[in-house]
Amino acid sequence: MIAAATQPSSAASLLVSLFAALSAHFGDRAEPLDEEAIARLVEHARTGDAGARHALYAQYVERVYRTVRGMLRSDADAEDVTQDAMLAVLTSLHTYTARSGVRFAAWVTTIAVNTARRRFRRRRPELTATGELPETAVEGTDPAGDLDRARLRRALLVALAELPERERTIVSLRYGADLNASEIGSAIGAEPATVRKILERARMRLGERIEALSNPKGATR
Amino acid sequence: MNEEDLGAAWTAFQPAAIQRRRIDARVFAWLEARDTSLASEWLQLFRIEPFSAAGLAAASAISIATAPPLVWLAGALI
Repeated sequence: MIAAATQPSSAASLLVSLFAALSAHFGDRAEPLDEEAIARLVEHARTGDAGARHALYAQYVERVYRTVRGMLRSDADAEDVTQDAMLAVLTSLHTYTARSGVRFAAWVTTIAVNTARRRFRRRRPELTATGELPETAVEGTDPAGDLDRARLRRALLVALAELPERERTIVSLRYGADLNASEIGSAIGAEPATVRKILERARMRLGERIEALSNPKGATR
Repeated sequence: MNEEDLGAAWTAFQPAAIQRRRIDARVFAWLEARDTSLASEWLQLFRIEPFSAAGLAAASAISIATAPPLVWLAGALI
């Protein structure tokens, strides 16, 4: 009876795993799953199910990249950190303990942020004399592919480089990883109220700088 | 800029397809290597290149056999 009742959910989770694994294999973006499905994938991945492991990877790899890109100097650094963080996540699933009110994404992005911080301490972002970030080798492979988006990306990178590390981490967790104030608080060891205050301040600074940088004529008025 | 604008701005940090493929390839190559035992690596090598594998195995056996006396000799000379 119990086995019969659990069969459909196992079959569904297998299908979800398979679909996500195929998506990951072919480089497609995986459909976001709810926390219940993620918890099932974690359980399967812990038992050595490669499909579940692929599915978890596909769920979080781009989120991790978006989170760490704003914290680091170059696309190459972000790629390395994403790779190291995803490997750390997939090989330490046995240490993960679910907590109520904290999503699995918070655990994943905390690992990513700690990996990025270690990298950041070794290689701080450098601004040139004109206040611009140095060109990166993959500038020509900008994901957006259009000029406005590339300009916005560049303005965002410059504006982020001007923020203190703590503020940069917090805004990256908010907008890159889509975490809420209490999840960010538990990731960096701060009170949610403090996180909200820092977010508000950083949002204003970022907004002003991005608008000035992406619209230089308007800034000189 | 409000909350939504900044959230939208962050999508500019989406990895390019080529970057995503690079990350995928490195992560899965590492995981595959971690999941593959040394014995199965050797068996695979014997299956693909039997002569090279036999040569490697013979060279490994010879170095294992000759290393301790050589180390002893070097120690005695020093």
